[in-house]
Amino acid sequence: MTPRVEQPNLTSALEDYLETIYQLLQEQPIARVRDIAAAREVKAGSVSPALKRLADMGLVKYLRREYVTLTPEGEQQARRVYARHRVLTRFFESILGMGSDAAQRDACAMEHSLSDEGMDRLVRLIEFLGACNSCAPDFLDHFHNCPLMNDDAPACPHECDSMWGRTLEKDGGPMSIFDMIPGDEATVSQVNARGAIRQRLLDMGILPQAKVELERVAPAGEPVWIKLDGTQLALRRQEAEAVVIEASS
Amino acid sequence: MSQLKQPLPELQIRTIRVALAGNPNSGKTSIFNALTGARQHVGNYPGVTVEKRWGSFTAKGTDFEAQDLPGTYSLTSFSPEERIAQDELLDGGHDVVVVVVDSTALKRSLVLLAQVMQTGSNPVLCLNMTDEAERNGLRLDLDQMRKLLGIGIVQTVGHKGIGVDRLVQAVRAAADAPVRRPRLVLGERMERAIGAIREKMERLHGAAGGRDWVATKLMMGEEEFVQRMQATDGDWGGAAIEEAQRQRKKIEASTGQDISLFVTERYFGFVDGLLREVVLDVPRADARALSVAVDKVLVHRALGLPIFAALMYGIFWITFTLGAIPMDWIDAGFGWMGATIAGFWPEGAESPLRSLLVDGVIGGVGGVLVFLPNILLLFIGLALLEDTGYMARAAFLMDRVMHRFGLHGKSFVPMMTGFGCSIPGIMATRTLENERDRLTTMLVLPLMSCGARLPIWMLLIPAFFAPGMRAPVLWLIYAFGIALALVLALLLRRSLLQGEDAPFVMELPPYRVPTARAVLMKMAERSWLYVRKAGTIILGISILMWAATAYPSRSDYDVDAQVAAGELSLSADEIEHARAAEDLRYSIAGRVGRAIEPVIAPLGFDWKMGTAMIGAFAAKEVFVAQMGIVYAMGETDEESTPLRETLARDYSPLTGVSLMLFLLISAPCMATLAVTRREAGSWRWAWLQFGGLTAVAYLVSLLVYQVGSVFV
Repeated sequence: MTPRVEQPNLTSALEDYLETIYQLLQEQPIARVRDIAAAREVKAGSVSPALKRLADMGLVKYLRREYVTLTPEGEQQARRVYARHRVLTRFFESILGMGSDAAQRDACAMEHSLSDEGMDRLVRLIEFLGACNSCAPDFLDHFHNCPLMNDDAPACPHECDSMWGRTLEKDGGPMSIFDMIPGDEATVSQVNARGAIRQRLLDMGILPQAKVELERVAPAGEPVWIKLDGTQLALRRQEAEAVVIEASS
Repeated sequence: MSQLKQPLPELQIRTIRVALAGNPNSGKTSIFNALTGARQHVGNYPGVTVEKRWGSFTAKGTDFEAQDLPGTYSLTSFSPEERIAQDELLDGGHDVVVVVVDSTALKRSLVLLAQVMQTGSNPVLCLNMTDEAERNGLRLDLDQMRKLLGIGIVQTVGHKGIGVDRLVQAVRAAADAPVRRPRLVLGERMERAIGAIREKMERLHGAAGGRDWVATKLMMGEEEFVQRMQATDGDWGGAAIEEAQRQRKKIEASTGQDISLFVTERYFGFVDGLLREVVLDVPRADARALSVAVDKVLVHRALGLPIFAALMYGIFWITFTLGAIPMDWIDAGFGWMGATIAGFWPEGAESPLRSLLVDGVIGGVGGVLVFLPNILLLFIGLALLEDTGYMARAAFLMDRVMHRFGLHGKSFVPMMTGFGCSIPGIMATRTLENERDRLTTMLVLPLMSCGARLPIWMLLIPAFFAPGMRAPVLWLIYAFGIALALVLALLLRRSLLQGEDAPFVMELPPYRVPTARAVLMKMAERSWLYVRKAGTIILGISILMWAATAYPSRSDYDVDAQVAAGELSLSADEIEHARAAEDLRYSIAGRVGRAIEPVIAPLGFDWKMGTAMIGAFAAKEVFVAQMGIVYAMGETDEESTPLRETLARDYSPLTGVSLMLFLLISAPCMATLAVTRREAGSWRWAWLQFGGLTAVAYLVSLLVYQVGSVFV
């Protein structure tokens, strides 16, 4: 497998020309400057300098004055750009549900700036979405009908397990109020409880960014006694452990 | 004639309906008391254990009806209190809602104001405890606050009655010019979401008021609102629900916060913004310095529990030693009353009416009222603990232990109160916020050996135990009751009352000097319930029990025949007592006692004890008097030595222990049963308490007696 030739001078405009030539060559044996200009929606006069630079790079070969074709390197480059374009267009169109024109436009804008790694990951995601859709056919439909995605979608009957309110793993993980010792001050960063406990903690003002100080601990180790906004609250272990903190400096 | 055609002068007959909302510890009840004085009623909301308080007052010719809503920090639907407060605000039809806030904790308490505003209520803000806040250095720009909120604002000191007149004026002004959409600023995103949901609610039935609140709750996905919406409004309700869910997803996706955090932050954001505009001077950082210093001692990690124990001991010591003095007076008073009424009939005459009045009414009611001094003192002590703010500290200290048994730190004090009398103890479970905690505490509370059982111990312990053993045995009785209560509480929480614990986020208010007025009102209110129990339930039961022990009576006595036959030679007094004993044996109670003898025999009891226990069901201390009658001792009390000697002669100490355990654990008195029914909201729990405790008592006594018999 030959390593892909790096083309540092290949600007996005030149990439677009390669791509256009590639597309034209899918339908006809040679590409005429006139057709290229028409496809790119530019004047024929501005096409020639670009073609000349591509020819200098060894990517394009003039057959006659007005007719070009791609060198093998040129075709490789063009296929790469075109593949990116197709993948992105498909992504915008069939997954994100955008209109065809808009999808084309965004794909053109993105295909040049995306790094190879970013592109690779995106391709994997798209392949996954396609593959997963065949084993779990409703998968994409769910996404398309989810109110998160579609403003006109009816309400979702499923209660999603959202990213918030899930308990984080403990070992070496974040500290909670229960880990504080008397005299410690800290800032609340997260309230990891659900339902009534979470609402009660929030109602009492235990919100992210709130400053808390641990004043004391009951003789048996819980409840703990905290100071918050000049008021004092006692929390049992379960409640105290739900409040994730960052130590104040 | 023309006079008739003139319009009649318009009569301003109307009653302004006002509700009080506020955080626990905001002094809401002191405002309520200052408004209504003694014209208030206390009861329960139907089917739940939440206290309902309402009353009326008149000011400058206008009648007011006031309702004290349950104290809540917010208006979610997670606890019965919050649900009730919320329903009252939405559907209660109140003309004005006074939001009482603790001025020393404005940030947290004003969140409730924001929520009340959303319910479409017509609010007046009552900034309570202003004296304390001002001492702390807080200064507010009230004019600016009025302008920003667009509602009436009054500063008060509830427990001193300061500012209450102005509050009434503000309420009247608000009733005349209601503000249904006050200036609540919750941010563009939230307001847009609410607007979108409201749009879908346009076609709904029902009042337009409170729609912001309903929209918010739908967005938060609260079951109750979703269901109500589906049930009442079909398709249109469904559209609103869908829109709410869409808005929720939108907000969650764009802010990265879940909806409950987002909404709660909006309320706090509103309060922060408001406070930035109106706070001229912030409270000093050391505002609670004194309270903090006191806590350094009172909730000290090592000293806290001993101090608590000492305080409780002090209250009990005062209750029983100081209480003993007026107890004697009351006792003497009822004795005199009985003698005087008995004196209306000629010496030696038999009259059912005399017996009913003297033995039934005076004996029964007197037996309960004699504990009134104890009850009053105990309630003063408890009111002091509550009003100083120490109670929350006690709950903090005790929670770990209580929680281990499925109870709550706050269960401790009602249980302690149960040592005085189960009835106020069960009433005191109202301080518990969670329904399951409350029911568990209520159900096991009769195991706290109450004051009425003390005469029983005083009679039985000296009868069966040597002087050196008496104090430890008494201590053991109490300790056993406590231990059993904890075990049963744990069992209840594992069976009938299982479920997640309610959130434990307890406020520890700063220490406050209680006012005599507040303490006395609290004492009076609770004591009155006790007295009323004596006047109603106890009176009724006493008459029933009297009838059961007096009828049917014999006309000719065995003892007379024996004396006539010369088999016995007895004094007139002894003959009288023997006749009474025969009467009791012949009576309904005696027959029931004998009928149940086979059932209680395995516990070591005979029919005499069975009969006396039937009396103990009316009121525990009646057991002593009944034993006296069965043993033909005439008038007896716990000091009566002859009865003790008789008991010691007839029964083994093992029977004594079995008997004491049974009396400690078994069926609480009827008044307790009635109070449990009222506080728990259904007979189901009352009968469970009755049946369950009796069954446990039977098993324990059976075990003790049967196992003991092997060794003794």
